[in-house]
Amino acid sequence: MDSLFLPRVARILDVRDETYDTKTFRVVFRDRAAQDGFEFRPGQFVELSVFGYGEAPFCIASSPTRPECLEFTVRRAGQLTDALHRLGPGDEIGLRGPCGNFFDLAAAEGKDLLFIGGGIGLPPLRGLIWNVLDRREHFGHATILYGARTPADLVYKDELKDWAERSDVEFLVTVDRAAPGWDGIVGMVPVLFDRTELRPSTSLAYVCGPPVMISFVIQDLLMRGFSEEAIISTLERMMQCGVGKCNHCAIGHRYVCRDGPVFSYSQIKEMVE
Amino acid sequence: MESVTAQVIARARVGAWIERLMAEAEVIAPVLAHGGDEVFAAIQSPDEVLWEFANPVHPPKQFLLPQTDPVVAIRRAGNGYALEPIVDERRRILLNIRSCDVTGLAFLRRVHAADLPDDSYLRRAAAVTVVCLACSQPCPLGFCVCSAAGPFAREGYDVQLSDMGDRLLAEPGSERGEELLSAAGDLFRPATSEELARRHDLEEQAKRLFGEETCHFASAMRRVSTGRVADELWASMTDWCLECGACNFVCPTCYCFSVKDRRDGDGWLRCRTWDSCQYPAFTREASGHNPREERKDRIKRRFFHKVSAQYFQRDGVVGCVGCGRCIEVCLGTTDMPAVVAAIRKGEWHG
Amino acid sequence: MAPILPLHGAAPTQAKASIVTTVDAVCTTCPFCACGCGIYLQAEDGKLSGVGPSRHHPISQSRVCARGWGAHEAPAWGERLTEPLVRRAGGLTPVTWEEALDAATTSLGAVQAAGKAVGVLGSARATNEENYLVARLARGALGTGDLDSCLRSTYLPLARGIARGSGGRAPWGRLADIEGSEVVIVFDGDLASSHPRAAFAVMRAVARGARLLTVSCLRTQLARLAALHVPVSPGGQHEVVSGLVASVAEAGGAEESVPEGWAVEPPAALAEEVREAGRWYAEAERASLLVAPEAVMGNSGEAFGAALALLSRMSGHLGRPGSVLLPLPVRWNLRGACEMGVGPDVLPGGGPLDDAAALERLAEVWGGEPATGAGRDAAAMIGTVGGLVVVADDPPSALRDGRAAVQGLAELDCLVVLDAFMTPTVRAAHVVLPIASHAENEGTCTSADGRVQRVRPCAPPPGSARPGWQVLAGLSAGLGRAFDFASPGGVLDEIRRVVPAYERLDERALDEVWGDVVAPQSDGRPIECPARFGDPPRASGDASHLLALDGVFDWGSDPLVAFAPTLSRDFISRRKLFSGGLVEMSGEDAKALGVRPGWPVRIKSLHGEVTLPVVVRREVERGLLLVPFAFRDQVGDVLGGHDIVPVQVTRPEG
Repeated sequence: MDSLFLPRVARILDVRDETYDTKTFRVVFRDRAAQDGFEFRPGQFVELSVFGYGEAPFCIASSPTRPECLEFTVRRAGQLTDALHRLGPGDEIGLRGPCGNFFDLAAAEGKDLLFIGGGIGLPPLRGLIWNVLDRREHFGHATILYGARTPADLVYKDELKDWAERSDVEFLVTVDRAAPGWDGIVGMVPVLFDRTELRPSTSLAYVCGPPVMISFVIQDLLMRGFSEEAIISTLERMMQCGVGKCNHCAIGHRYVCRDGPVFSYSQIKEMVE
Repeated sequence: MESVTAQVIARARVGAWIERLMAEAEVIAPVLAHGGDEVFAAIQSPDEVLWEFANPVHPPKQFLLPQTDPVVAIRRAGNGYALEPIVDERRRILLNIRSCDVTGLAFLRRVHAADLPDDSYLRRAAAVTVVCLACSQPCPLGFCVCSAAGPFAREGYDVQLSDMGDRLLAEPGSERGEELLSAAGDLFRPATSEELARRHDLEEQAKRLFGEETCHFASAMRRVSTGRVADELWASMTDWCLECGACNFVCPTCYCFSVKDRRDGDGWLRCRTWDSCQYPAFTREASGHNPREERKDRIKRRFFHKVSAQYFQRDGVVGCVGCGRCIEVCLGTTDMPAVVAAIRKGEWHG
Repeated sequence: MAPILPLHGAAPTQAKASIVTTVDAVCTTCPFCACGCGIYLQAEDGKLSGVGPSRHHPISQSRVCARGWGAHEAPAWGERLTEPLVRRAGGLTPVTWEEALDAATTSLGAVQAAGKAVGVLGSARATNEENYLVARLARGALGTGDLDSCLRSTYLPLARGIARGSGGRAPWGRLADIEGSEVVIVFDGDLASSHPRAAFAVMRAVARGARLLTVSCLRTQLARLAALHVPVSPGGQHEVVSGLVASVAEAGGAEESVPEGWAVEPPAALAEEVREAGRWYAEAERASLLVAPEAVMGNSGEAFGAALALLSRMSGHLGRPGSVLLPLPVRWNLRGACEMGVGPDVLPGGGPLDDAAALERLAEVWGGEPATGAGRDAAAMIGTVGGLVVVADDPPSALRDGRAAVQGLAELDCLVVLDAFMTPTVRAAHVVLPIASHAENEGTCTSADGRVQRVRPCAPPPGSARPGWQVLAGLSAGLGRAFDFASPGGVLDEIRRVVPAYERLDERALDEVWGDVVAPQSDGRPIECPARFGDPPRASGDASHLLALDGVFDWGSDPLVAFAPTLSRDFISRRKLFSGGLVEMSGEDAKALGVRPGWPVRIKSLHGEVTLPVVVRREVERGLLLVPFAFRDQVGDVLGGHDIVPVQVTRPEG
């Protein structure tokens, strides 16, 4: 048996600047068989090693329907992400996983889907969104609502355009504070709720973003008739091992890295510190 | 092979037995260290082994779950890296460890085997033979009777020794224990029925000496599990804790860790290192946000993990073996019996 | 013989003789604060791996604080100096030991030949042996009194005041004695975090029924356990001492009369409480008096120490078995460094520069007259001397004016640094001499309560690093004054000959148990009457708040913490979140100003102004603004060289 802690070596294919402090890394396992054998579902994460700095969890931002490489969108926030940002094409990192649970796509089939992302909270949804778009016929209405602090904080700018142009998905974006050149919507994410048709009884809502944004979006959705089970979010916690052993991410007797990171609001509500 | 029953070895021959053990494996036993400190250490001679001793303050956990534990070697290879798991399968015999520690090791084995098995722990543990020395005298701080972890071990040992003065009675607790005893057959002989009866009396007598339960987990568990411990009660404990983390580090059932890379030659060793849920940084996220910023929440967390019904259900036991070490090392007064009593009574007096 | 064990696991290496002890544990002294706990350092396969507690150690008694549990980390994980380095074009370049020592002595010689001074810094992070050789290098080989350690000023004046005010009978008592006290008085900084073992002793005394009086400008953890907490403005501690003296005198039974002008009424608001506490203290059989290093900020340490000695003397607690009067040095071996003579105005032994007997002993042992001139302190040296030898000290992290230290080091003609770790000082060095860290070193250290204990090596030093005493010997030899030592034991033998308090150290106690305690040394001088204090700065008018630094030292800048992955996390996180500094204030003040945590406030004094984000801290009293020592440079202009200044604080527009 392999050690639970043994990463596999992966190589960076390319690096794309998303914002002033966020980059997307396209990565393949060095070993072709590892790449082919890496099966994951949207919502799962990996423990990503920057050798010499340790490892940290990052959600897989790409879709399993596009298996040729894996993508990770990483904001510079500490020593490890600093070091990762200094790496470029050809550099090697380690990947361990996939870890955690995932968005239940089978349960989403036939439903209307509402994706709500805030800032750096879009990456966990992105894999799910592309998965849905690549198998579009299995799902009802699809709506993507995205908000960021400023236009400069928006990630995946090319894809946002793509989503905006597609006819099979409704896409709205807002920023908290406008900047020169921004002629779009201004305001927190919930301002978008009045600009689209919400379908609380037939929808699943996927909410990812900073904790504060998640909590007020969820309150708003509840008021607008979404059931607690129909609101699905991902929890963020300090994680180390990713395999339910180290206890850093425990909430009560649940482990965000094993029982999560994907939880319905009805589950989140039951959790006690 | 016929199953081996309880065996007896004359006191005078124990040294010879230990010498044989030493030829086969690293034998770790309580010994006297600097200034009369009792510690677990690899012995160089059978004479070093203590038979009457205060249980060392640093438990044998350190040999299975070291404070710094390299798990992966990261080496440079050309322009890239080569990764290799580090496997420690050194044969070790833990000799004269007490029932509380035996129970602690059994606990650790279970949590590392549960869900996703932790191979690096399990392989190391599989190479460890546990020889328990049952307690006939209570220790000043222990309360193992409250957590069913003593004074005699019920599980988790390969051999359990009972000290009968001029001889030791050895009971196998596993196949490996039976093999261990049968392989040393010439030094041991089967126990007589009188000896077995005496062994039974010893345990009964020890239980009597250990006395009544002093740490009432059941009622504390009810309150902790259902969130019926007032926030103010946790808050009132915070000034009596100096956040040293020692309760975690010396606890036979604590196993929290962090993962970090330590430079080694031109590469690194990825190590897991002990961490403490009592440290503010334990849950602090890269953003600076900390869901358990306040000390009261961290104390609450420790006791939730130790005595909640949720964890009891998962682990099958409370996360305490009653060794009393958290009382001995506490740089404050928030040890297990004190906090359990406070939870039960709803009052904290420092 | 049939195998005794079934073949589970790997066989031991060879026959039984070769079964190696893979985990070595060495009993040594905890290297962080001055409490002097005993710990076991563990090494696995020659690499430091962990820490274990010592049950019978008289100070630690099975206990180890969070820092202690990380004592193995920095040496194993930190940025270590592994080979001698010399600055050449392009930076610090590896050289041989001979080249490095030669470069050091040649450059220092050249500085002296050019008529410029060369100074030496010892350290609270170095052993007694290293500090003694530092003193001998300065006053012997270099013939200079420019000799100091950065943290000396936080301890020596206070300790000296206590010694002078007590006729050399204090510092007195053991940390463990505190636990049996009936009354404990703590002039607190925040012992719970600076000296956890001492704080625990206080806590235990309280748990056993002792009455605790805390005096501090913070409602610290100990203050919250206290029977009586007296909040004071920074610099106002002495008013409470005066009040206590008055109360002890009033309670009767004082062993001597109050010196003229002393028994001053404390501020009216506190008078009754302080009088009450004075009675407790006077009536207790055993009482402890502890002084945190922060307590003397804004005051003369020497006057404060003498006042405390007066209080202890008058109440009869001075010298009474079970009673305690201890100032707590902020860092590990600060007391030892001072007693080894590392200071501009002390001789080895701690005596004054005109101590004829001491000078005679030194001349005999050193084979030459020691330099007797009073030198400059660390802050004054940097920026005025041409050459500097630094042993395990780090002025940019430890001095009050960190910016000036950085600049001063950069201007030196010759900077020779002996250290185990890469520090800001090492980065500025011309010659770097790598030495063993606490985990690889051999020698002794002296705890707050005077216990001299062994430091024992648990692993070999990395690369070609050498024990500090050896390197200092090499340096001195290169300067024409060879030391004749074969081991650190030889250095200790010499210390015994010149430091009276260490003369009777019991070698067996050092080796076999937990060291030996040095007794206070009466120097035969008359007891000095404490000087009066100046008035502490007060807030008034627009300058409605007082600004002070929180602490006199930043653990986050110390290599033993900064390089320890587990210990450094809180500090790194705070630096990242508040890279431009922060100011702590009470929730009430924040509310009154209309600011929330993280919002900026403008702080303006006579000297300058600064805008800093607010951190609300419940321990801070109203009217007080505190800036952590780590961020002292951000308020350097506002403080204008003072410890405490009145400031106007406002919420910036917009």
